[in-house]
Amino acid sequence: MKTFIIHFIIAAFVVNWILVQQEWLEFTAAMSILIFLAVFSLLWLSALLYDKRYFIKIPKVVSLLFFFLKELFMANLKIAYDIMTPRYFMNPAIVALPLQASTDFEISLLSNMITLTPGSLGVDISEDRSVLYVHLLYADEGNAEKLKQELKNGFERRILEITR
Amino acid sequence: MNIFENTLLIAFFVLGICLLLAAIRFAMGPSLLDRITAFDLIVANVIGIIVIYSKLTVDAELIDVALILSLFGFLGSISFTYYMLRR
Amino acid sequence: MNIDLHFVKEIISSVLILMGVFFMLVAAIGLLRLPDFYTRMSAITKGATLGMGLIVLGIGVYFNDPEMMFKILAILFFTIITSPVAAHAITRTAIHKKVTFWKKTNLEEFEEYLRENRLKEYAGQKKYPKEPHNSIKRADDTE
Repeated sequence: MKTFIIHFIIAAFVVNWILVQQEWLEFTAAMSILIFLAVFSLLWLSALLYDKRYFIKIPKVVSLLFFFLKELFMANLKIAYDIMTPRYFMNPAIVALPLQASTDFEISLLSNMITLTPGSLGVDISEDRSVLYVHLLYADEGNAEKLKQELKNGFERRILEITR
Repeated sequence: MNIFENTLLIAFFVLGICLLLAAIRFAMGPSLLDRITAFDLIVANVIGIIVIYSKLTVDAELIDVALILSLFGFLGSISFTYYMLRR
Repeated sequence: MNIDLHFVKEIISSVLILMGVFFMLVAAIGLLRLPDFYTRMSAITKGATLGMGLIVLGIGVYFNDPEMMFKILAILFFTIITSPVAAHAITRTAIHKKVTFWKKTNLEEFEEYLRENRLKEYAGQKKYPKEPHNSIKRADDTE
């Protein structure tokens, strides 16, 4: 985490310096994002020498981000189809999701991601922090267990891989 | 070469319709919490409208307004919710 | 090999804006049509967030200015952080205020939470409420 912040600040300063000082590059948003990514990945490669853990974790963070975006988009399309057609096919249910995540950061990240994915809404957490109650839109009779496993294998496993 | 301007006008029109639909829910919502939800949607809508407006009148300063509004909308819905919970 | 970059930029930007407007419209129609508070809540927050994010990003691609892009990334960041928190708070308040569930909602696994909360709510008093704990009201079928 500390390494990430230091690298982020260094990359931001390098981009600022390059774009303000040099004359031959255009001063546009796309260019600055490209330069930022290039500098950041160079710094990430250099972390192989002094911070192995950080080196392993950054690809996982990126894959979690892309997985989340894909999920957000697909589920939104599904809900859009359901809203636009006259009948709805939803069978809402509140299920109890047993948690492996234990610290504040893990639980809040997990529940925020679940809430941002359409079709599932984190409601509350039980007193002893072992169960997260999730409101699902498409939970048919035999389907709820499968959906719970999907949430656990999709989001929770990836988050735990990053934080632990 | 006028595709972009036309897109913006269509977007403006559709966002106005969204604002109207949210206002209907705001007027008839059975409980206060439904109204808070509609208020959330209205804030998101208005941010979109402001951002598009900042392109139509070429005035880049209006993005700041959208930035402030995105924070204040959250503050508004949270404070209403707390009022509901404590009442 | 002479692609008009300005034209490409406009096309990307208008596609993003149209997609955002589509999701926003879906969210608004869903707000009006869906049967009960919880389904509405669970469909709305995301539709509005995704729609607004796409519109803002489209305008950012069009302006193509680093300072503008920074502000737009800030708007996206704040929205993504704050909107699920607001959704949590509103839903939790709704459950504590006993807003009605839809008739088809399956509440089996939620009974325990309701029971605990009812007990906590009445912990200061000597009498427990007379009605059974799982008697949360259900809305009439609107379909």
